[in-house]
Amino acid sequence: MTLQPGELFPLDSALRGIRERFSDAVIDADRTSLRERTVVVPAERLAEVAGAIVAEWGGMLLTLFALDERESAGRYRLHVMFSMAPEDAILTLVSAVPELAPAYRSITTTVPAAHWLEREMADLMGVTPMHHPDPRPLIAHEGWPRDWHPLRKDFTTGDTISWAPRWKFLPVEGDGVFEIPVGPIHAGIIEPGHFRFSTVGEAVLKLDARLGWKWRGLEKIAEGATLSRGLELAERICGTCAFSHALAFCGAAEEIAGIVPPPRARALRSMAGEIERLLNHLTDLGGILTDVAYVVGASEMARLKEVVQQSADALFGHRFLRGVCVPGGVQRDLDDAQQLWLRRALADVRADVASVLRSARANAAVMDRLTATGVLTAQVARDFGVTGVAARASGSIRDGRKDHPYAFYRELDFQVVSRTGGDVLARLDVRGDEIVESLNLIDQMILRLPGGPLVQHVGELQPGRWGFGLVESPRGLLSHWLRADDHGLIGEWRVRSASHAIWPALALCVPGNIVPDFPLINKSFNLCYACTDK
Amino acid sequence: MWEILRRPLQRGSLAGEPATTLPAGIAHATRAAESEHELLGEALREEVRKLFRGSLKLRHLDAGSCNACESELLAMLNPFYDLQRFGIDVVASPRHADGLLLTGPVTRHLEEAVRLTDQATPRPRLLIAVGDCACDGGFCRDSFAVHRGGQALMPVDVKIPGCPPTPTAIMRALLAALGQDAVRVLSARG
Repeated sequence: MTLQPGELFPLDSALRGIRERFSDAVIDADRTSLRERTVVVPAERLAEVAGAIVAEWGGMLLTLFALDERESAGRYRLHVMFSMAPEDAILTLVSAVPELAPAYRSITTTVPAAHWLEREMADLMGVTPMHHPDPRPLIAHEGWPRDWHPLRKDFTTGDTISWAPRWKFLPVEGDGVFEIPVGPIHAGIIEPGHFRFSTVGEAVLKLDARLGWKWRGLEKIAEGATLSRGLELAERICGTCAFSHALAFCGAAEEIAGIVPPPRARALRSMAGEIERLLNHLTDLGGILTDVAYVVGASEMARLKEVVQQSADALFGHRFLRGVCVPGGVQRDLDDAQQLWLRRALADVRADVASVLRSARANAAVMDRLTATGVLTAQVARDFGVTGVAARASGSIRDGRKDHPYAFYRELDFQVVSRTGGDVLARLDVRGDEIVESLNLIDQMILRLPGGPLVQHVGELQPGRWGFGLVESPRGLLSHWLRADDHGLIGEWRVRSASHAIWPALALCVPGNIVPDFPLINKSFNLCYACTDK
Repeated sequence: MWEILRRPLQRGSLAGEPATTLPAGIAHATRAAESEHELLGEALREEVRKLFRGSLKLRHLDAGSCNACESELLAMLNPFYDLQRFGIDVVASPRHADGLLLTGPVTRHLEEAVRLTDQATPRPRLLIAVGDCACDGGFCRDSFAVHRGGQALMPVDVKIPGCPPTPTAIMRALLAALGQDAVRVLSARG
């Protein structure tokens, strides 16, 4: 990024501001990572400091989680992490919350993006955000014992806890208001989630989206596991962004180990990442066209996705790119013939996608359904820390590949695609253009693929160290935070997917639209349920 | 419409034909699989004709999978595999279904929904576990938040292992099941 004379980098201006305004905050000098700075803040000031970082110094909330340090230090430890994009810097607020009656003033009161993160933390760790606007459980539903918090260290995963199905929904009252409950089981090959619409006539007044149905407790069962078991879990958080999760997990492990993968591995990682983006964008475009009954376009997108998926299988050995990324590098290599073949196969994809989108956009019925439907305003997108396609269709120019370059992206030339409409059409267009950028990126990597080894050795994890992996997945920024325990195994693992950030914003796009447009709006985001529930 | 069909027609590649032209020496297995799914489909059509009068309707039931199995089930309906050609379709309601395609380990949160969906399916019905998780809980079977697959709640008729099973693997397993087990299962339940 370029600066005006006298202007400070975002991280420096935030640190200076914190020093001036909050005398009780301590900037941690121990943390030596180049891009991350840690500030220790008293828990009662957390909401205030976090609010200032977002409102005044341009930070964006990435993730928030608690760690159980009762045994070693008699406290819970809170981490609140911000991206300081466009600078490649991360600012982490750390707070201690006392062991007895663990509570602090909710950050959601100043930073709405913390909404679901704090609810999840309250469920899983039992640290209570006071004055939270919606203190209902999020991930562990209402029927679990209230004093049971599975991420606490004194719960072991072998124990069976009894549970009764029970849920609370937000009521909407008034003349002619009806409730339409939908799900968790839906009519199609779709993931489970419950949507409670409050409607007047056909118009939606409010949408209460309840997720957590697919909760498999993956963050808990990773504790005490080896890196390779952790990678197995990471690749199975979500089937369709398996590679992005693997990459973020490996990025965190590599930061702990203090190594950087060799150039060829980094380039192949970017290549696999772009293939995963192609797979997802083609699926999502097909989904949008299905939901407006433009069947011929939807079929063509499904065919193109199969072409790319078979290419992934043929070249990288797996239809979902599992097993490609390992800590320290990659396990798959492409020889010259394979590279040439990939370019040819993808050249057809480029022309065919353009042709389908041209036809769809020339169809008045399609355009009528897509235009002005499910508008995500730039304000809501900013407030909720929305990233990825959803944010870029609402005017954002943030892209993790540019802002926090990982893998090979620093060496590559590409444009960040952006639209301002914020409607379903804008999200369709962003995906269409990003497919072109992804294909360009793959071409560039094939032309400039560096030689050399595929893996850099990652030894034992150093006890107590932590690492953070950040990846621009097909749906937006996803992060993995990893800390090694005393034996060099996985101590704590905290995952936040792009979908987790976008779900609460999606619920705000629906009011004002008619019920039959909800599937279309939902599909235009195509958020992942498994990624959110973990 | 013509705009979309023109290019595949020019290249001579439409549904059912190889989706990609693979060069010799690369990914031979993929090329073999392309003809395999056609053969499997023809055999499936014959079994479906005998057992279900040519029309087998299945309902998908996600019990907490990572959605890779869902992605492969969806792929089976794409123009390349096009399962509907062989008399098998995925329907929107359990009340219209001859069987359930269960994916995921059955999370504790979904156990009630899984039971209710199963109860809404008319008997006799096939319960088909798709993927390792649905078969026995798979990679997360030891978690406090899940059951060990569909068998924890009800008898499973057909198990299709794989993480995830590919569309071809699902077709192969369906064929094996319809050829033997299904006959026994359905006749026993009458």
